[in-house]
Amino acid sequence: MRAPLAERVGNYVLLIVFGLFALGPIVTILVAALGPDDGGSGSSGFGNFGKAWEIGHFGSYLRTSLAVSVSVVVVSVLLSVLSGYAFGTMRFRGAGVLFYLFLLGIMMPTEAIVVPLYFDLRSLGLTDTFWAIALPQVAQSVAFGTFWMRSYFRSSSRSLVEAARLDGAGPWRTLWQVLVPPARPALVTLIVLVFMWTWNEFLIPLVMVTSESLRTAPLGLAFFSGQYTSGFTLLAAGAVIVGTPVVLVYAFLQRHFIAGMLEGAVRE
Amino acid sequence: MSSPPGEPRKIGYLYILPALLVYGAFLLYPLGRAVHLSLFEWNGITLGKFVGLSNYADVVADAGLRAAFGHALVLIVFYSVLPVVIGLALASVLQRARVRGLGFFRTVVFLPQVVAMVVVAVSWRHIYAPDGPLNDVLRAVGLDSVARGWLGDYTFALPAVGVIGTWFETGLVTVLLLAGMARIPKERYEAARLDGAGAFAEFFAVVLPAVRGEIAVAVTLTVIAALRTFDLVYVTTSGGPGTSTSVPSYEVYHRAFELGQVGSAAAIGVCLTVLIFVITLGVNRLADRGTA
Amino acid sequence: MKVVALATAALLLTAACTPGSDNPGGAASAPSTVKTDAAALGDVSLTVWDQEVRGGQAAQMAELNKQFQAKYPNIKLKRVSRSFDDLKTTLRLALSGNDAPDVVQANNGRSDMGEFVKAGQLVPLDKWADAYNWKSRYPASVLQYSRYSPDGKTFGEGDLYGMPQVGEVVGIYYNKTKLTALGLEPPKTWADFENALGKAKAAGELPMQLGNLDKWPAIHVFGTVQDKHVPAQQITTLAFGRPGASWKTTENTQAAETLVSWVDKGYFNPGFNGQGYDPAWQDFGKGKGVFLIAGTWLQADLQKALGDKVGFLLPPGASADEKPVVTGGTGLPFAVTNKAKNPDAAAAYINFITSSDAMKVLASTGNLPIADASSQQAPAGLAGDIFSAFGTAVSKEGLVPYLDYATPTMYDTIGAALQDLLAKKATPQQFVDKLEADYSKFAGK
Repeated sequence: MRAPLAERVGNYVLLIVFGLFALGPIVTILVAALGPDDGGSGSSGFGNFGKAWEIGHFGSYLRTSLAVSVSVVVVSVLLSVLSGYAFGTMRFRGAGVLFYLFLLGIMMPTEAIVVPLYFDLRSLGLTDTFWAIALPQVAQSVAFGTFWMRSYFRSSSRSLVEAARLDGAGPWRTLWQVLVPPARPALVTLIVLVFMWTWNEFLIPLVMVTSESLRTAPLGLAFFSGQYTSGFTLLAAGAVIVGTPVVLVYAFLQRHFIAGMLEGAVRE
Repeated sequence: MSSPPGEPRKIGYLYILPALLVYGAFLLYPLGRAVHLSLFEWNGITLGKFVGLSNYADVVADAGLRAAFGHALVLIVFYSVLPVVIGLALASVLQRARVRGLGFFRTVVFLPQVVAMVVVAVSWRHIYAPDGPLNDVLRAVGLDSVARGWLGDYTFALPAVGVIGTWFETGLVTVLLLAGMARIPKERYEAARLDGAGAFAEFFAVVLPAVRGEIAVAVTLTVIAALRTFDLVYVTTSGGPGTSTSVPSYEVYHRAFELGQVGSAAAIGVCLTVLIFVITLGVNRLADRGTA
Repeated sequence: MKVVALATAALLLTAACTPGSDNPGGAASAPSTVKTDAAALGDVSLTVWDQEVRGGQAAQMAELNKQFQAKYPNIKLKRVSRSFDDLKTTLRLALSGNDAPDVVQANNGRSDMGEFVKAGQLVPLDKWADAYNWKSRYPASVLQYSRYSPDGKTFGEGDLYGMPQVGEVVGIYYNKTKLTALGLEPPKTWADFENALGKAKAAGELPMQLGNLDKWPAIHVFGTVQDKHVPAQQITTLAFGRPGASWKTTENTQAAETLVSWVDKGYFNPGFNGQGYDPAWQDFGKGKGVFLIAGTWLQADLQKALGDKVGFLLPPGASADEKPVVTGGTGLPFAVTNKAKNPDAAAAYINFITSSDAMKVLASTGNLPIADASSQQAPAGLAGDIFSAFGTAVSKEGLVPYLDYATPTMYDTIGAALQDLLAKKATPQQFVDKLEADYSKFAGK
């Protein structure tokens, strides 16, 4: 039964309106970035990106962001797979309590822990280091990642695991050779989410690091916005530079990512 | 011989150990320290002074802090309630009729979540500027008197920040709800139609109960986002004009690192955490009761 | 359950340690002998944090740094430059962190430099001042803006903690073309100025640009109005946070009322509380607005935007030859932190960027050098206006300090209170009450 024409048109209108609402601000900043520079530097179009890159030191910031994000992703996913596997397939005393402990981490706002963490790391002389930015984010990602991988492993086929055991596989082999390969969608989702959250993180790098060489991209953009006082064009270009990497990752993996996310979100 | 899956095994502890170590050291221990610090008055440099629970008393007594938490509650409306309402309407309309391009739409509408908050803030600050696109559009349709410097307006600055939140979260909520609705078996719709239910009744009888779980997840995620608005406030208003957009998350940074009131900042952080726990637990209890 | 018990026990144990007990604190001290030959210091790396980001500022800093590196190749400079607001937000964190910079530009007010001195984070520079003879380079009235007692309690006297490069004064930029079109001369008395505002409004022009989203710009505008109502001595006491004055006087309330009347008469651009500081002066530079009350730091940018169409004058008094009372002082001074590994090198850098050669570079890049201004070639146009205005203010001793210097929290308090006042959320009476509460809580100690 085809819906009446009015209803179908109405639906498309709704889609377009909300699509535009979602895209609007993003398009605005893209357009502003490509326009002629109103700050008088004489560049326009793609030249703006080059100028913003130079003035805003974005090369170094993007490198730092990449290093931090990749490290956090690798470490968190590894740790999450291990702990999710344990919680999801093994029984041991206190597993319930320990798992709820991890759940706490998902709900803990960065703002609550960044203050004591800063002062403690400072007395240990560890602020202004790469790991001061990375490890707190690993901790946050591991909280979510453990929950995520546990819910995946719990729903994975018992018969597969049983078969592996009968073949004489220990838990390590069972994990890596039997359970992980089909977990790709869930893993992709986790990787994209952790990458996205780490790249976009602002408060932790702001507090932990004061030296230029360890500054991440979002921080660079915030300072650039205060520093570049003559016009909006170059600032918009800088914003595009900072936001693009994650958008690209998302664009390439979005089908897997959204599907995986939805599957996992209501698995519980 | 290894034990059957699901049987008790000590090796589980080994597997969770690395994660637990990092998590414990960088999240749990600092939380404990936050509670500890919140009992002191400390400027971050010289010796602190034990003041017991007076920082927490301030949360209620200090008008500025009360206002900040009040603003946070307003933001919850914009970050959670509005997106859920809009998302429900949007998703159910789209679900009823098979529209093409749904996948593309999902991708587009989820895009705001992916962009760094600083980029979002820079973009919207420009949109809200007295000579920015929003006012241009308003003037173009003859609503000159409505056009203003939104982020500097005492009445509208907080809602303006809230709208950014709605923009940011609606996509996520819509996508979540769409997925939940896609799982509803067709038979339920048919049963409702046989009973003579129109669109609205169908929504309340069939759709809403089925997506309880998704709504709970959506509310949890968005409430947490509403209470963690540091990035946004830092780049757009810094709590102004006056103190009309002060939020607890900004106050934490401001007090700890600009005013030298570390104990107070820690207390606010702890309160934020407790608030999130309470709301999350409440929402999930409600949702569970519904599906029971 | 055991976990909870263990956790509580651990927490109780740590409750025994008071935070900050691992920091000995105390005032920073300078070495007993100082070296002034920078070339003989060996390989040194200096990290400098500054806020010289506007047109003229960026040019002078880049040039001076280049010259310094050329003269002293053994000293490597690592420069971090940031906007005034961002520097204010992050400097406190940076000074107490592990990788603190060596030289920083710190806002002289109590909320910044005062707190840093109190915490022992800045090194007193008097030994180097003697060695390099800074006391004859700058007059005492200039150096006082960077003086604090070692406990941070007294501002304006005591040890020297920084050296500024530029002078600053808040004055009135005016669009010459527009004034002429209105049939007006640059105002010579305060009454002339208010008259001009009214005439501009009546003729359909925007009388004055203001962008107060960043909270601090209105402090300068209010200061300018206050200078015409309240005796200079009182303003100085209030601004330095010294006891003995009060905000709750009729004159202060009158100043607030005048400012509010300007809002009511529509003299400012609509939506000014939501307009950023930079977009506002950029609009003035694009020809929107007859007047702009702002500081001399915009010299280079406005020169670039308006060329010879813009002029600058000191806010005039009741009569044309009255002693001027204007808000101003010095630019942010450069200070040496207590974490500097080589304070001699840091001091040598500061000496270099404040030398008389440096003053020439400052003048030629569109800034207002604090010393030797009169001996510089007074360039024509805007720069000439600014130089002579500042020279008059200094020679007639008409400078009063910025109001936000007064207490550690005054910057926040007066910024928010002014936004409230200008948006009519607070009456002038409530406005002065708020300021008095902050001031007396601090100065009453």
